[in-house]
Amino acid sequence: MKHWGILPCNGLDKPVGQLAREIALNLAQDQSKTLACPVLLHSAPSVYAKTKEETQWVVLDGCNTRCASKLAAEMGFSVGKKINVTKLVEKENLNLGHSLRLGPEELALAQRSAAELAAALPSTRTEGEEEAAVVRDEKAAGETDLDFPASLTYTEFRQDKFRFRVPEGEFFFNENDCWVWVRGTRARVGVSDYVQQSLSDILFFSPPEVGAEVEQFGVLGTLESSKAVFEVIAPVAGRVLRVNEELEGSPERVNENPYEQGWIAEVELTDWEADRELLLDAQQYLTYLKNKVADFHV
Amino acid sequence: MLEVKKVGIISCSGEECAGGGISRLAARHVLESTRPGRTVTICLPLFLAGGEEERYFARTFPTITVDGCEKRCAFRATEKLSGHVTKALTVSDILGAESAAAPSFSQRQLNPELERKIDTVSTALTEAVDEIMGKPAAAEHLLKPTVPPAGMRLL
Repeated sequence: MKHWGILPCNGLDKPVGQLAREIALNLAQDQSKTLACPVLLHSAPSVYAKTKEETQWVVLDGCNTRCASKLAAEMGFSVGKKINVTKLVEKENLNLGHSLRLGPEELALAQRSAAELAAALPSTRTEGEEEAAVVRDEKAAGETDLDFPASLTYTEFRQDKFRFRVPEGEFFFNENDCWVWVRGTRARVGVSDYVQQSLSDILFFSPPEVGAEVEQFGVLGTLESSKAVFEVIAPVAGRVLRVNEELEGSPERVNENPYEQGWIAEVELTDWEADRELLLDAQQYLTYLKNKVADFHV
Repeated sequence: MLEVKKVGIISCSGEECAGGGISRLAARHVLESTRPGRTVTICLPLFLAGGEEERYFARTFPTITVDGCEKRCAFRATEKLSGHVTKALTVSDILGAESAAAPSFSQRQLNPELERKIDTVSTALTEAVDEIMGKPAAAEHLLKPTVPPAGMRLL
């Protein structure tokens, strides 16, 4: 089990930034979690290089600019939980004013939020909560199929002996080479051709837990080949409704076609509009992928 | 050409030590109480994340960086992304390395000792603002504005 770390936004120009910082400090001090300074992380990423690999991150954004989320994505952090403090404040119907000096009500909210957040982290689930999660998993498994297209059209390019396909249409990608196809409040997620080409023959698939909540840039299962283990980085936040059970017996389906029979999971979306802002459309991903492949082959 | 109307304060957001928390609260004290209207802040995480308005401001107007410790992240980031820093302050220089390197604190833990340290740093920061604002704007020192990013609102 990975440790939990905290990456807050800490913005100075808005009280929500201060509140994000306060929640982070409460969580770090009261719950013994690692706290990352976003500025130091940006200035000297090597300081957190070791921690990064061993840590699943709670990301605390102050405002809707979501700098902490962007930084986590840029640094390749595995995100397990995200909090938007602006939304938290709205939910609490709290008026923060303009000062960074937080009042008793705000300090109490920070303490309470940190405690609730700590309790919600998977490693601290009680037995009863685990049972409730299993019930939710079973319910989720019974939900209807997503209306995914029966066949897809691809744009292709070649580099040396490798052929890379990017599906046309309503696919979006993160820079971790994972895709999402969205219909309403549900989505299907998978990895791109780049992943299957890089891994070569995929031997094992460890699926995410059905019913589990995943954050955008959180881990949605792993794929393992003789070369490496690849963590599937969720392009969207949501609750896992289904996993591709075929992959457990036949993980090579990802090599055959990662966009069709090699899909990974389906999720019920939490906030597609917000997630979309941090994703590339198919054309943008094609450009990104060409550059990445060219750099890799230099 | 622009006359100097406002000074930007870029404070460390430090979580690594008490100096970060002191610099934040001192910067905010200057913005809200000692020199309101003459100072603006730049959100450092946003600045680093690519906020064009922040970078434009720091390229065009005088800036003071207030760092918590010797790592000087705010100073280094501003120099790297926007250019010259007019005045650079470091809490460890003002209060001593020991005070700056103490563990970071929550606002729940504010006490008279920390308040005194915040006051000391905000006094130094206020003096730095006055030093910049008080200088007559000689023709050769007038600032050359760079082109603002599309859709940006001048502060």
